Amino acid sequence: MIHISNILLALILLSVLLSLRSNRLMALVKLMAFQGIVVSAVPLLLETAHGVNFNLFMFFLLLVAVKGVLIPGLMYRAVKWVVVDREVEPIIGYHASLFAGLILIVFSVYVTNHLQLAMFSESHKLLLVTAITTMGAGLVLLMARRKAITQVIGYLMMENGIYLIGTALAKQVHTQYVVEFAVLLDLTVAVLVMGIVVNDINHTFDDVDTALMGQLKD
Amino acid sequence: MLQLVFSVPIIAGSAVFFLPVKLGRSILMATAFLHSSITALEWFHVTGPLQTKYFSNTPEGMLVLAIMSFLFLFISLYTVFYMAEVEMSKEPIFNASMMLFLGAMSMVAVADHIIMLWVAVEATTLTSAPLIFVHRSKESLEATWKYVLICSVGIALALLGCFFIIFSMEMVNIHVPISFSSLNVVATQLNPVWLKAGFVFIVIGYGTKMGLAPMHTWLPDAHSEAPSPASALLSGALLNCAFLGVYRCHQLMFNAGLGAYSSNVLIAFGLTSMLVSAVFILNQTDYKRMLAYSSIENMGIIAVGIGIGGIAAFGAMLHMIHHSLVKSSLFLSAGNILLGYGTKSIAKTRGMLKLFPRTALTFFAGFAGISGFPPFGLFISEFLIILGAIKAGRYVAISIFILSLILIFAGASRLAMQMIFSDRENVEQLIPERWKRTLPPIVLLLTSLALVIWLPDSLYLTIQNAISSIGGTVNG
Amino acid sequence: MDPTFSFTSFLSVLTAFTMAPLFMGVILKVKAFFSGKQGPPWLIKYYTLIKLLKKGSVYSTSTTFVFKLGPIISFVTAIMLLLFFPFAGLKPVLSFHGDVVMLFYLLSLGRFFTVLAALDTASPFEGMGAAREVFFSALAEATVFVILALFFRLSGSLSFAEYFTGSHAVNLWSESAALIFLVLIALFIVLLTENSRVPVDDPATHLELTMIHEVMILDHSGPDLALIEMGAFCKMLFYSSFISCLLFPFHTGNPFVNVIVFFIIMTLIYAGIGLVESITARYKMDMVPNFILTSFALVFFATILTMEFVQ
Repeated sequence: MIHISNILLALILLSVLLSLRSNRLMALVKLMAFQGIVVSAVPLLLETAHGVNFNLFMFFLLLVAVKGVLIPGLMYRAVKWVVVDREVEPIIGYHASLFAGLILIVFSVYVTNHLQLAMFSESHKLLLVTAITTMGAGLVLLMARRKAITQVIGYLMMENGIYLIGTALAKQVHTQYVVEFAVLLDLTVAVLVMGIVVNDINHTFDDVDTALMGQLKD
Repeated sequence: MLQLVFSVPIIAGSAVFFLPVKLGRSILMATAFLHSSITALEWFHVTGPLQTKYFSNTPEGMLVLAIMSFLFLFISLYTVFYMAEVEMSKEPIFNASMMLFLGAMSMVAVADHIIMLWVAVEATTLTSAPLIFVHRSKESLEATWKYVLICSVGIALALLGCFFIIFSMEMVNIHVPISFSSLNVVATQLNPVWLKAGFVFIVIGYGTKMGLAPMHTWLPDAHSEAPSPASALLSGALLNCAFLGVYRCHQLMFNAGLGAYSSNVLIAFGLTSMLVSAVFILNQTDYKRMLAYSSIENMGIIAVGIGIGGIAAFGAMLHMIHHSLVKSSLFLSAGNILLGYGTKSIAKTRGMLKLFPRTALTFFAGFAGISGFPPFGLFISEFLIILGAIKAGRYVAISIFILSLILIFAGASRLAMQMIFSDRENVEQLIPERWKRTLPPIVLLLTSLALVIWLPDSLYLTIQNAISSIGGTVNG
Repeated sequence: MDPTFSFTSFLSVLTAFTMAPLFMGVILKVKAFFSGKQGPPWLIKYYTLIKLLKKGSVYSTSTTFVFKLGPIISFVTAIMLLLFFPFAGLKPVLSFHGDVVMLFYLLSLGRFFTVLAALDTASPFEGMGAAREVFFSALAEATVFVILALFFRLSGSLSFAEYFTGSHAVNLWSESAALIFLVLIALFIVLLTENSRVPVDDPATHLELTMIHEVMILDHSGPDLALIEMGAFCKMLFYSSFISCLLFPFHTGNPFVNVIVFFIIMTLIYAGIGLVESITARYKMDMVPNFILTSFALVFFATILTMEFVQ
């Protein structure tokens, strides 16, 4: 039958690509919400082979609430109330970013194939490729966009990628909800703090363009 | 109770957000005292050696915790008087963040679970961010943004490193709890390739936080823009916490028989940091930035010392203690200078000896200490590191090491002399110096001096226990 | 070749051909629904075609025979496309090894002559439209050929019909579902581009400067215009049924059921196009290449992923 977890991974790749070429902040925030929900669903569907247990499902709901609703909600609010000009303003253009995305996926397939992980199933390999691509694309967004808020989005995307790598490699973490909850809490607070700083940057500079901040240098 | 050491400051800090300023200051002091007494109890194992699923008291952790607690005691004292002189609209937030920051750092010191350690390090970033942008000036916003973003991204890479280390265990089908204490037991069976990859990512991640070049770019900005008590805490306590994360992984590598690899990585990063700070310190115009670059240099020294091992590891641990004491003292003095002159520019801070004699004394003494002059501890620690390197036959590394030390000394002394001894040229005294603000830096300096003359046995033993796992000895 | 089977194939092509204008009506109806209107009748496109065919053609004195050739060739190539295609899982009328390359070059041939006819008028507007059309379809062609290469890897065949009917049939229900999913989205983008739909081009726009396809055929009138329109409908039908074959493997065994399902899916795809047109606005002209290149990136992703995992 249809391989649902593979489709999920394809959806993540899709969201990564679309975010690299997206020129609207709102679209970017919506993409992040979508990606957050799909990423949260991945461990649930990978574990279905061993049967879904109640804890896992509850944690899935929590993840969706945080990554799919709360964090994008904060970003949405920031874009809606703070940012006047909603164009993304790339340092590296959209086409070059897309091209970077293509190079990234070639790289991640190369890496995954050369790890020679015999214990990995096909879908785990695809998971690893997706994870590395997502992480790399997050870094690209982080470096190639000028607005402070897009940098936060890049950070989130990178975090999603690392979370997926954790899902592929470190299965033990997913059984320790205390630890995972703490990581999630950190992420939420990080976005909150960044949101507050973005807000203040906007008040002080009348823009969220990081190029305006060049006072401190040697 | 090991958990008390971080839960007390966190609870107190959360409460202070909603309390009036005056009460907040007293709670800050009370927390500092309570924290140091809990630390003392843990230090002397009054509660017995304790280990839970996520936390344990290790010698290196206790060392970092003790330094932090001691510093916090005096820095909080200073903060109370400092705050009384500067008008700060958001003081409850500042006080609360100080305590939350202390809680997060204490959590780093006692964390044993790999991911818990990561969570705590990330928490230190988040709780200290409000400390930096409390003034809300353009510069402090920029510094905060750089700090939060660069450190968060760096630490995210450390999480990747943690996953790699966990995978190196799952790959060979070992299932032990993912804490450093359990992993150290099975270290030799772990997959070396993944372990190495994990170590590199962790050094990059926590190294960002520790201020190792080339990931140090946030550090001078954050240290110079934060209010001085916060800078002192960042430099004296936070950098040690980040170092602790690297050190724990280095121990794991050593137990896995990959010590040579991780040592080389540490030495490379350490020397790079020293060279970079040597270059940037030469033409500084801002004395707080100068101190910040000196912190990068000293973190580099510690990394090199740990990497060389043997007696140099002992030197590195001593260096960590003395650097924390002296550098915090310097930052507190810098706070006094800033209050007195109202500027951070070296060129405009002249004739300190006549205007602010006590501050000039503490600043000069601190400067002598940080440059490694004999009466202070940094002389001994640097000497031990050089000795260890020569014994280990690392001549190239040690030549770069000594060269950087000379360059930094030459660059920084020019600036410090200018500030202290130049003529007084129509500079006004904004706020006169007061004993209650000059006392804490003096006490910190005296502590450093005292530790040179007499190193307590328990401290000596703790250092010895901390470095024995990486083959460090006191006898050379 | 089984003659009866071939006959049903012919019949299905004929049905599809006659129904192509009807599907265009679906798009109009969906768009009307979203803007709260009643919309034109379902058979509007038939009426238009009949109206156009009744009229005479007007030719500018400055044009040559190339101008008259354009509509005919674009119509003929569009009809030829349909001959290769396995409608509803039935065997196509024509099929041979490597016909995929032929197929897409037939499309290009049709476009080439439309462009020539446009340039023949020497009107600045038409030249502009032609330039845009050629630019965008050249970008889309990259996507199409990567898709073909990908399908070759997946099914091991170079014949269009074999892609969907062979032993390693390519569709959303097979092993490589994740890849096909990416391809589907890319193909939908190509469909929108090649058929000049929103958000690449707006067929209903009022200003020549913002047009792409429509501006190229400004000078055609009467039966010529009807041929061009009909060719465009066939092209649309071709792409839609391409997508439908990926969505559903027509393996039910009962040809009658297959045909019913086929038409249902086709209606859904056309409704989907109508939906996209209703909820998105046309892109700025400089964002269009970005949009098309996304489709290329998607299929490139999919192709890279096949390098190891699916063999």
